[in-house]
Amino acid sequence: MRSSRLYFSTIWVLCKTLTTRWFRDPVALFFTLIFPVIFLLIFGAMSRSNSVSFNIAVINHSDTPFADSFLDQLEKNKVFKIKDVQSFDQAKDKMGRGELDSIIELPQSFGQLDANKAPQGKVTVYYQEAKPDTGQTVASVMQRVTDGINSKLVATSDPLTVEQKATKTTNLTRFDYTVAGIVGFSLMSLAIFGMANGFPSDKKSGALRRLRATPIRASQLILATALEYLFIGLITVVIMFGVATFLFDFSMRGSYLTLMAFTLLGTFSLFGFGMAIGGWAKNENQSAPLSNLIAFPMMFLTGVFFPVYLLPLWLQSISHFLPLTPIIDGIRMIITENASFLTLGPQLAIIFGWTIIIYAVAFRVFRWE
Amino acid sequence: MSEIILKVKDLRKTYGDTDVVKGISFEVKKGETFGILGPNGAGKTTTLEMIEALRPIDGGSVELDGIIVGDNPQAVKEIIGIQLQSSAFYDRLTLVEQLRMFASFYGAEVEPLKLLEEVELTEKAKSRVEQMSGGQKQRFSIATALVNKPKVLFLDEPTTGLDPQARRHLWDLIRSIKKKGITVILTTHYLEEAEMLCDRVAIMDNGQIIALDTPKNLVKALLRRGFKKEQHVEQANLEDVFIDLTGKGLRE
Repeated sequence: MRSSRLYFSTIWVLCKTLTTRWFRDPVALFFTLIFPVIFLLIFGAMSRSNSVSFNIAVINHSDTPFADSFLDQLEKNKVFKIKDVQSFDQAKDKMGRGELDSIIELPQSFGQLDANKAPQGKVTVYYQEAKPDTGQTVASVMQRVTDGINSKLVATSDPLTVEQKATKTTNLTRFDYTVAGIVGFSLMSLAIFGMANGFPSDKKSGALRRLRATPIRASQLILATALEYLFIGLITVVIMFGVATFLFDFSMRGSYLTLMAFTLLGTFSLFGFGMAIGGWAKNENQSAPLSNLIAFPMMFLTGVFFPVYLLPLWLQSISHFLPLTPIIDGIRMIITENASFLTLGPQLAIIFGWTIIIYAVAFRVFRWE
Repeated sequence: MSEIILKVKDLRKTYGDTDVVKGISFEVKKGETFGILGPNGAGKTTTLEMIEALRPIDGGSVELDGIIVGDNPQAVKEIIGIQLQSSAFYDRLTLVEQLRMFASFYGAEVEPLKLLEEVELTEKAKSRVEQMSGGQKQRFSIATALVNKPKVLFLDEPTTGLDPQARRHLWDLIRSIKKKGITVILTTHYLEEAEMLCDRVAIMDNGQIIALDTPKNLVKALLRRGFKKEQHVEQANLEDVFIDLTGKGLRE
């Protein structure tokens, strides 16, 4: 009878052989090792530009000198980029298309002097109903501009003021926050788009049929392949953090050992999905749509491209249990909060749960041809 | 009386409403080369794959070296070597790497170069399968089937698609394997191949064995039935002409 030692030594030899084979495939090398770096460079560059600005249009119905100087003030404000428009209707159209964030309207009476010779007026800020946060921000900036003018006119000091100061308590940049999502996304791509196509093409060539004629078991092939990809995933992660550190002064708060161990666990569970898809699919025509079906929701619901807290509540609660979410969250917590395996308990529990489920499925649905 | 290594009894396979193998029985002796002959679609490959534990057995039984195949397919795979009809291997791996990998499936120690020497592929040790000719691929395929020193070697149409030189070369290889005492079971639809290599042949048609004997006895029985072939005085045929003109050297 085959001993368990033989069971694992076969996995080991097969894994080494498959890894050798993988490294001789230039296309796989490019997409797995270079592509994540390109992705990282794009996202890194994007998260570097930290300034926020709003595109606004000003509809001025007033011809008072005060209105003119008010507009001068606005133009000097860096938060606003003033766009030319011909009419209010045109401005509304532009806002509808997203070209404008807000429209500022000054009424005809704006800047006319009252009995005390002080200018009067009301600024109206229009914004899209769907974007109340934009409207509030623009309105509060406008408020500051008008307050500034008011205080000069009245020449009194305000008893209560608010001072804004940006804080960087942990010296984290937005990039430090983004990097976890990029790493998670790359590992998921490797698992689902990379490996889910490997098995079907080996089935098509007949190579798996030949293996089946030997005593090897499906579980050995699956585990050897998972191990192979774990090694490849490890290289990807090292390269990505290398690039992050040298090009983007990425600051690591946690331990690299914890990060590696956690990432390997997460990667192993993600590979179960690629394995289940590829093991089940008879050919690429079956594996490709299924890969997309699983990968796309995860791309948008797990905090890769935007934070989970922006999602509606019911989606958030689903998101927490998707297999990729605890991986990205965990990596982020290690990087930004120096989380340890103890504090990562909830994430690890979800990862373990998925790992057991998905490998049980992968072993069961595997087909040799 | 020599030992029986394979006993097939009333073996059946059905796909939907079609009976592909209709209850065939035969025995193979240890050390002999046994041929299963028949036209395409006769059920040769299906029969072979049921014996090799690659396809579920629908009815009847197969006993190979004392192991009931239906009950213990894994144990059967350990002691046999298989060359599939269309052999395919992982690309981007050298022959030596492939052989090591195959040996690991059996927990077997293997000397890749010695094995390659047996199939005359020593100089190709560092090549990849995708760079080899059809005949070389078939010989390599036999090498992978030998890594576990099998008791029975199954060859499914080993010479289909090969040119006459490569075919003769493969015949020599099969004879040398037989000499080592390995039982060889092969399918073919080339009759002269069966005549040259096989101790006994079973002729299959339509899922049934319609004749089983040594090639010589089959011919004798036919003549006894009063068969007369049109007289041929030539002592050679077109293939002899071809080999004479092009030589026996391998083209690859």
